Amino acid sequence: MEASLWIRCVRALEAELPEQQFNTWVRPLQVLEGAGALKLLAPNRFVVDWVNANLLPRIGELLRRQNTGDAPIITVEVGSRTPAVPANTSPPARPRRAEGLVVGARLNPDFSFGTFVEGKSNQLAKAAALQVAENLGRAYNPLFIYGGVGLGKTHLMHAIAHLTKGRDTEARVAYVHSERFVSDMVRALQHNKMNEFKTAYRSLDALLIDDIQFFAGKERSQEEFFHTFNELLEGQHQVILTCDRYPKEVEGLEERLKSRFGWGLTVAIEPPELETCVAILMTKAQGTGVKLPEEVAFFIAKRIRSNVRELEGALRRVIANSRFTGHAITIEFTKEALKDLLSLQAKLVTIENIQKTVADYYKLRMADLLSKRRSRSVARPRQVAMALAKELTTHSLPEIGDAFGGRDHTTVMHACKRIKALRDSERRMTEDYSNLLRTLAG
Amino acid sequence: MRQLPLGVRLQDRAVFASFLAGRNLQALEHVRMLAGGAAGGVAWLAGPAGAGKTHLLQAACAAAGATRRAGYFPLAELGPLGSGVLDGLRDIECLCLDDVHAVAGDGAWERALFGLFCAIEERGGRLIVAASAPPALLGWMLPDLASRFAASAIFQLRVLDEAEQREALKLRAQVRGLDLPEETARYLQRRFPRDMRTLYELLDTLDEAAIIAQRRLTVPFIRSVLQE
Repeated sequence: MEASLWIRCVRALEAELPEQQFNTWVRPLQVLEGAGALKLLAPNRFVVDWVNANLLPRIGELLRRQNTGDAPIITVEVGSRTPAVPANTSPPARPRRAEGLVVGARLNPDFSFGTFVEGKSNQLAKAAALQVAENLGRAYNPLFIYGGVGLGKTHLMHAIAHLTKGRDTEARVAYVHSERFVSDMVRALQHNKMNEFKTAYRSLDALLIDDIQFFAGKERSQEEFFHTFNELLEGQHQVILTCDRYPKEVEGLEERLKSRFGWGLTVAIEPPELETCVAILMTKAQGTGVKLPEEVAFFIAKRIRSNVRELEGALRRVIANSRFTGHAITIEFTKEALKDLLSLQAKLVTIENIQKTVADYYKLRMADLLSKRRSRSVARPRQVAMALAKELTTHSLPEIGDAFGGRDHTTVMHACKRIKALRDSERRMTEDYSNLLRTLAG
Repeated sequence: MRQLPLGVRLQDRAVFASFLAGRNLQALEHVRMLAGGAAGGVAWLAGPAGAGKTHLLQAACAAAGATRRAGYFPLAELGPLGSGVLDGLRDIECLCLDDVHAVAGDGAWERALFGLFCAIEERGGRLIVAASAPPALLGWMLPDLASRFAASAIFQLRVLDEAEQREALKLRAQVRGLDLPEETARYLQRRFPRDMRTLYELLDTLDEAAIIAQRRLTVPFIRSVLQE
């Protein structure tokens, strides 16, 4: 079968099908040719069903018309001709002993210890990660890093993997997102390859599992992970985990797992303070060969709070705009480049939005938050909402008081002081406040 | 005697050449760059209906499809099938997802999108997404996904102003081998809803009528066609 036969058939379909149908159902198809047979590979069963129901007779007709010999037998099934191969940089970790299933994702070459900008909010996590990388399986095992999205947990994991593999190219180190662990396991179950799956994961020198909150509610995966975890730890192999919250607070995770996660060292990554944000921006800009004025870095950092990933996204946007237009990066230029982003933030952060977000977070009704009730379960969230309104909006204290059921400005002032004191003394409050800040200010 | 149009007439394809960029030039260049395969990455196109989001996605698909596996999936339309629609799409080298706002807030869809996002990022692939609003304004359940999309290359598409709309109509007509006089474009603009989708659909009708009647697109001719 000539490959061009299918290509001719595709061209004919492109001319006669509506564009959207063609791009959805035909363009993603791949073809495998055989003697007198043509196998079409579709990404999933929906595409298979659609092609079978709507297109197969027409494809047969087109092929018959274009082929001089017998018409090929056409089948459609789920599959992919080319396995997903990382486009660039280092290949995934390859277990030495376990032939067959290869576990571990591509490592981002930019995520090294050298490019990790350290500040008060993350220095403990970085120090622990470095310790672990230098003493695999002997320092803290497991190492559990937790913190909100976009704060650098994945960066640290990749840095550990880079350092370890740099020292020993044969080291079997695998970085795996927990979603990937689950989907690998489902695939292994489907194809009756659980033994291969177990061997691949259990023969690693270090297993780095990202975002374990995704295990929540997946009992079979937790069971398998529990055994993998135990075996690695017993063999003094390193396990490193990240999560978006403190292990005990992940709902839907088995108690025995939560308790084991606490055996080693648990460290938090907090949202970076302003100076660290500025340092991150300056370092990233320098890394791309751009000279970023410090005042511009402060301008961006003040407006995009709490999340390094989005901070970097904003910087990339400014740099891209500057390259596109050829303009120098000034505050005015940055304002224009981030206009949409900044107006979005302003739109999001209203007192009402803060009240709604805080009420949702503490599972209260808005009416409770605005009521006169003074029980702690209501008063504390109300104070948090007031403090957030003071920090994130430009409203005056009396305006904020008004918006909270006509309270006096001194009540708002007291709330701000109280929450500040609690953030300094209670871990729970520090986390609640950070989470809310991140939700509201991005 | 009326001339019947050919059964297989030239379809009006959304390609980069027929996209009038206006203030959306940077978005056009970025999407073109991704489709061209020079770099991987994720782009998010936000804007109201008729701003050109679907056009750019289809054009990216067509451009990328010449050399690599590409696909376009409109999630508002495919939503009822469930998030399994995203299965296997991680192997598509230039993946275009339209109307992503339609599935934001749905746990199963978001988890599927998150898995897809991570897999595409991991292999250095290309994901071009369109939605009615930027990611920060959609009600996500998964902060992990929200944050990743929020850090992608986001472009707010602006709708074309009146003069640009006429230019876009003329450009589209020209790509189809038609001459659309300025006064005819103005006539259409004055009498019909001014979103590009409606105007392009009108152009479809007029194109077919012009072929049948063998007439140019003059105001009297289109008036008679549209009255029918």
